[in-house]
Amino acid sequence: MKDKLYRDILPRVSKPARYTGNELNVIKKDWETSHTKMVFAFPDVYEIGMSHIGGKILYGLVNEKTDHLMERSYAPWPDMESIMREENIPLYSLESFRPLADFDIVGFSLQYELSITNILNMLDLSGIPLKSEQRGEDDPLIVAGGPVAFNPEPFADFIDVFFIGDGEEVLPEFLDAYYNNRHLGRQECLIKMAAIEGIYVPQLYNVEYFSDNTIKSRQPLYAGIPSIIRKRVVANLDEAYYPDKPVLPYMEIIHDRAVLEVMRGCQRGCRFCHAGMVYRPTRERSIDTLFGQARNQLLHTGYEEVSLASLSTLDYSAVDQLVKGLVAEHGPRGVGVALPSLRVDAFSIELANEVQKVRKTTLTLAPEAGSQRLRDVINKNVDTEQLLSAVEAAFKSGWMSIKLYFMIGLPTENREDLDGILDLLDEVKKVGNQYSRRPVEIRASMACFVPKPHTPFQWQPQNNIAELQDKIAWLRRSKRKHIKLSFHDSQTSYLEGVIARGDRRLGEVILTAWQKGCRFDGWSEYFSFERWMDSFHQCAIEPDFYVTRQRAYSEIMPWDFIDIGVTKEFLAEENELAMAGILSPDCRQVGCTGCGVCTSLEVDLDIRGEENFAHQG
Amino acid sequence: MRIRVEYEVNSELRFLSNLDMMNVIQRALRRADIPYALSEGFNPHIRLSMGTVLPVGLWGQREYFDLELSERMSIEGFSSKMNAVLPPTIEINHACEIEQLTPALMKVINATAYVFVINADDVDVSAWRDQVLNRDILMVKSRGKKKGIDKDLKKGIYKIELINNEMVTNIIIWVSSGEPVNIRYDELLDMMQQTGLDSRLIIDVYRQGNYIKVGEQFYSPLKKVKVFE
Ligand code: SF4
Repeated sequence: MKDKLYRDILPRVSKPARYTGNELNVIKKDWETSHTKMVFAFPDVYEIGMSHIGGKILYGLVNEKTDHLMERSYAPWPDMESIMREENIPLYSLESFRPLADFDIVGFSLQYELSITNILNMLDLSGIPLKSEQRGEDDPLIVAGGPVAFNPEPFADFIDVFFIGDGEEVLPEFLDAYYNNRHLGRQECLIKMAAIEGIYVPQLYNVEYFSDNTIKSRQPLYAGIPSIIRKRVVANLDEAYYPDKPVLPYMEIIHDRAVLEVMRGCQRGCRFCHAGMVYRPTRERSIDTLFGQARNQLLHTGYEEVSLASLSTLDYSAVDQLVKGLVAEHGPRGVGVALPSLRVDAFSIELANEVQKVRKTTLTLAPEAGSQRLRDVINKNVDTEQLLSAVEAAFKSGWMSIKLYFMIGLPTENREDLDGILDLLDEVKKVGNQYSRRPVEIRASMACFVPKPHTPFQWQPQNNIAELQDKIAWLRRSKRKHIKLSFHDSQTSYLEGVIARGDRRLGEVILTAWQKGCRFDGWSEYFSFERWMDSFHQCAIEPDFYVTRQRAYSEIMPWDFIDIGVTKEFLAEENELAMAGILSPDCRQVGCTGCGVCTSLEVDLDIRGEENFAHQG
Repeated sequence: MRIRVEYEVNSELRFLSNLDMMNVIQRALRRADIPYALSEGFNPHIRLSMGTVLPVGLWGQREYFDLELSERMSIEGFSSKMNAVLPPTIEINHACEIEQLTPALMKVINATAYVFVINADDVDVSAWRDQVLNRDILMVKSRGKKKGIDKDLKKGIYKIELINNEMVTNIIIWVSSGEPVNIRYDELLDMMQQTGLDSRLIIDVYRQGNYIKVGEQFYSPLKKVKVFE
């Protein structure tokens, strides 16, 4: 197999190093003696999948800490796919070069709504039946987890088992349970698995609908199957497993550096933010743990940079000491520190200056909305003054270019809010030109707002494509020198919107779209909106039902049975506050604001800054 | 202290780009805790310079890089520390200290030997070689950046050696690199095809080494240094 690959196949494809495996720090466990055999399958290309932290954690955890085995597989790029189909090569794992169908468990990572067609394609390339109901005793169990699994319903036809919440909590337990029940038939085994907290087996439920297509009820088919699925949470992140020896790719990947997860969760409470709600509560690692993890990862990879990844890294309670400590320890060897997400304030800029090795590159900030009114609606706790002082600090210290992230199509947005974006850009430019002899470059990237499940805006209508196009045209109506605007594709955002808040009836549409050739839908060169619309039409499903409709508080949402800890009442209240333009504070600063996560999941906010400072003292 | 290093890149790594290869070496230098020297400036980088680019698709028996160290260390120490952390697909075979003023690899390497391993059961390879060497011109369309221009390889082909193994024959073609003409391995493949050697017979291609040609002699970039001493 490997011979044939090297001789006949790989010389004919682009980026062959995607398919060769055998990287440094790869773990090849013995097949025969390992208990449950799982392959972690990422529904996008190698360089994206390999950049994902969750995958690195699970790979190390299962292989180093359990008797089970985990290998890896990624979506082949279309050139490779067509050769594999021609030559009858099944999709294989990068460790043992075994076909995916040989494993007990094939586990997909759901990071993005539109990667579902790649999942179907990967199953098809493995010769595994696409739908749960078609799979037999000899087929692997198809499992999935990740942020998109917090609304698993659109994928219910294809996935046998979903993991809800932190994977490192539920996965080892699941693999043990699977191993202990491996003698059972498929259905019995699934019923056993469904009893584990955080596990959802969609086939074991029946959903009924009203004539207006909203959900009437959903019920487990058997006694003992839970009707509510509660997410799993790592209570003590500081003690949780984190890989010291991540696989070091040979080819350049998207995030080609050592990564520290300084914390999980974010309490800022931006009302549009899915991650901010589903990953509550905030749990930090201690600074000593992080120093140790940085040291070990660098020792085993030789990376030239260590990045502090998290939803909002600058909120880490000891970020200043952490950054300075890392720079002091590793800087003299030419190893840099990267801060991927900055807060909009002057402190962030100062810290960015501390670590920034090359001047004149781009600084990125995310005010999200153009007017104060709208920023209050979305609970982005930033005012214009703060933004301008951050920008001033940046230009003062030599940055030449700034990139700002905004969203268009937010609830209550009007023309003034859009003009607010343009005014803000003008002001930023003005500030920049006070400090720089050359004209500064301002870039604004506009995403189209997609309401996400489990957020205060889950009831809100999403703008339709015509409305978005209109807004884009309005923003583009006059050109401004040295200010560049770029927009996310409104058709892609629309489809994301359908799937994000979809129900299990979408399975048919997804299957049809894949059959029509949809795959790599997140890649503009392969995305075909027409094919998707044809598929909706063919299945007689109206996509607007999922996207542009205002939903009532009383409506049963397809994802209501997934308990993220945050209560529906809290989300509704936040939505009301949003409509009134009232801010909600961060519970880290003012104490509990009653979102419900800490009480219902019996976990606590875990802030380690105090302890860190005590250490120093 | 400046050193020149010769390493072998195993056939598993034949699909790496030059940038990938540089990363592999730099990361190994960091893992091995080699006292490499850094450049000055905002964005310090390791003072490493690679030899000529190994084409994607080929493995290499004798590849080279130069490295500047910030403190002295023994050559054996360097090689063994590096080999302990390098993946099994790369190995350092030789190294030596070079003088500060020794010209860079890219400046001095002017010849390369490519090996084409062919399944030679029923072809007369030496007849093929003779007729190639007897031609006055060997015209191909150039590859690489300036694509499609007529290019005569004749003056850049220094010698062709044949080594018969059991089932296969190694055709070793010694060619000019840079001046007077820069010959790429894929141009040699075209030339072979045109002169009657079916490319389907080729089962492996690799680079045997980079050389410094002086007169009719080919020196290893390591040896050449000693010749100057
Ligand atoms: S700061 Fe806001 S947008 Fe960012 S992760 Fe937190 S809640 Fe989400």
